[in-house]
Amino acid sequence: MRAGGGRGTAEMRSVAEADLRARNRRRRLGGIARHVFLALVTFLLVAPFYYVVLASLKNSTEIFTYPPKLLPIPIFTGNYEKLIFHTGFPRWMLNTMFVAGTVTLVKVFIDSMAGYALAKLELTGKRAIFLLMLTLLMVPLGALIVPLWSLTSTLGITNTYLALILPPLANPLGVFLMRQFILGLPSDLVNAGRLDGLSEFAIYRQIILPLIKPGLVVLAVIIFTDQFMSFVWPLIATTSDDLQVLTVGVAALRAHGGANYGLWSAAAVMSLVPIGIFFFALQRQFLARSLAGALKQ
Amino acid sequence: MIGAVPTQIEALAGRRLRLPAAEHRRLRRRARLRRELTAWLFLGPMFVFFVVFLVVPIFGTLWWSTRSGGITSGTTDVGLANFGRLPDLVGATVAIQNTFAFALLSVPLILVGALAIALVLARVGRGASTYRFLVYFPVLVPGVVAALIWLFLTNADFGLFNEVLRAFGQPPVTWLGSDTALPVLAVLDVWRNVGYWAIFFVAAIIGLPQELYQAAELDGASGPARFRYLTLPLLRRILLFAVVVATIWGLQVFDTALVLTNGGPGTATTTIVFRVWQYVFGSNDKVGIAAAISLVLIVAILSLTIVQLRLLRSRRGGD
Repeated sequence: MRAGGGRGTAEMRSVAEADLRARNRRRRLGGIARHVFLALVTFLLVAPFYYVVLASLKNSTEIFTYPPKLLPIPIFTGNYEKLIFHTGFPRWMLNTMFVAGTVTLVKVFIDSMAGYALAKLELTGKRAIFLLMLTLLMVPLGALIVPLWSLTSTLGITNTYLALILPPLANPLGVFLMRQFILGLPSDLVNAGRLDGLSEFAIYRQIILPLIKPGLVVLAVIIFTDQFMSFVWPLIATTSDDLQVLTVGVAALRAHGGANYGLWSAAAVMSLVPIGIFFFALQRQFLARSLAGALKQ
Repeated sequence: MIGAVPTQIEALAGRRLRLPAAEHRRLRRRARLRRELTAWLFLGPMFVFFVVFLVVPIFGTLWWSTRSGGITSGTTDVGLANFGRLPDLVGATVAIQNTFAFALLSVPLILVGALAIALVLARVGRGASTYRFLVYFPVLVPGVVAALIWLFLTNADFGLFNEVLRAFGQPPVTWLGSDTALPVLAVLDVWRNVGYWAIFFVAAIIGLPQELYQAAELDGASGPARFRYLTLPLLRRILLFAVVVATIWGLQVFDTALVLTNGGPGTATTTIVFRVWQYVFGSNDKVGIAAAISLVLIVAILSLTIVQLRLLRSRRGGD
């Protein structure tokens, strides 16, 4: 730095310092305003959860009392006992985990294979297939209720796990994500593998898969959460109680057996526990879901 | 001489490897065929599911829309009569109107809210990850569960909304009445989706070129001016993208309408998917109509997707 000399420079420096101080103060105030705003927004978004957790720990008379107690003392666990021992809730949860887990596993596998084919392999009509998938990307299962139902009943799989698992496999989102990831890998890697005499499958398994692992995790998170939340198709595909998934079971809880706010609140809280744990553990991948998933169904 | 070496190699290679032209072509064709087959083995599993459970059902919807009868009881061909009946069938038109009204209400609120949150969130250093976590959490709530939670908020006697009103000395409101149910449903959707788009916008805003902002600050542009003349134009495509995708999602509304209001009161929150579900499984002569209104939804979604693709293509062309 150059040494400042003479009065003019010193004055200039003090003006500059005052200016800097003012700007810092403004910046600090702006920072506080931002935190206040965000605190308010997150409070509004999170308050409903607190209200429901609170209700789930109250008995039915306490839920209706005014003014409401802001802390559930004494804690009442009857709602949770009833939910776990007297409804199908544990079974619904198992079904959801099984179906969502299977769909995720299969999908990660077939989507990454298809993505590899579209990114690196020689294929006539590759562009046409890609465009077709892109065009149909957003068509939801909910718009295809009639033909899908008749299709599954023709295949004889209504009221089986297969009916829950197979249709969601059609969603092309994962193929795009995987294609995008694999396109980013240098083709030289693939060619080197070929020169070393690896089969295409060995190249996929030993070179491609390890390199796109982060993408696979993001894809798995996207598919699992979508599956965890899906409702229309599971509602239609199954009528048997044993096959109900979480969302369908919870909706049935609401539709049948009269108003039972205590039980409903316990069901709402318990439904959020697994996804909450996943979210906490895989926060970064979940947020990536919002970015990659710009294309999500 | 440098040129001599390649010439020798070429001569050598030419002598050893030259095949008759026909043989050469045949081998090349075979190799190509093998590569094609390998590629199809990779694409195949996914592609089969894609065709059977997505492409075929779309054409299936077309076919079903020309039928009359019930899904299990057998149908007859009625041509395009279902589409002729559609405008007069109040149950169907109301559902279509409600669905589009819902999207019109919820999408602007979601996106404006998300943009506001994102603009602030992008400039926060400490605590940003906590805010992101909390803002995003409602996104992971299944619609059915969200609706259940909102039953607690909107309940006329002990719901949170009326408790708050009471605390301010206001009279309680029937939140799920016939005039208010659809807006409440839209606000529920805002609660569930605002975090998704906020996180999406944060990434976009952080990716904007910082030099432009520094230049603007030097030029003395105020915060609102920077937003109006820099951020908005720079985010134009991202915003258009968000409008299209959020609308497509909005048009699919079903689970929250089923659990929160059961489509009512009356038909106030009966949406397209809701009506299709009722027509298919709750009546035995309307499967054709159900397919016809599904088709309205499919056509709307496909047109929005195509608009979207054109936008993306023009971005690629513009770069």
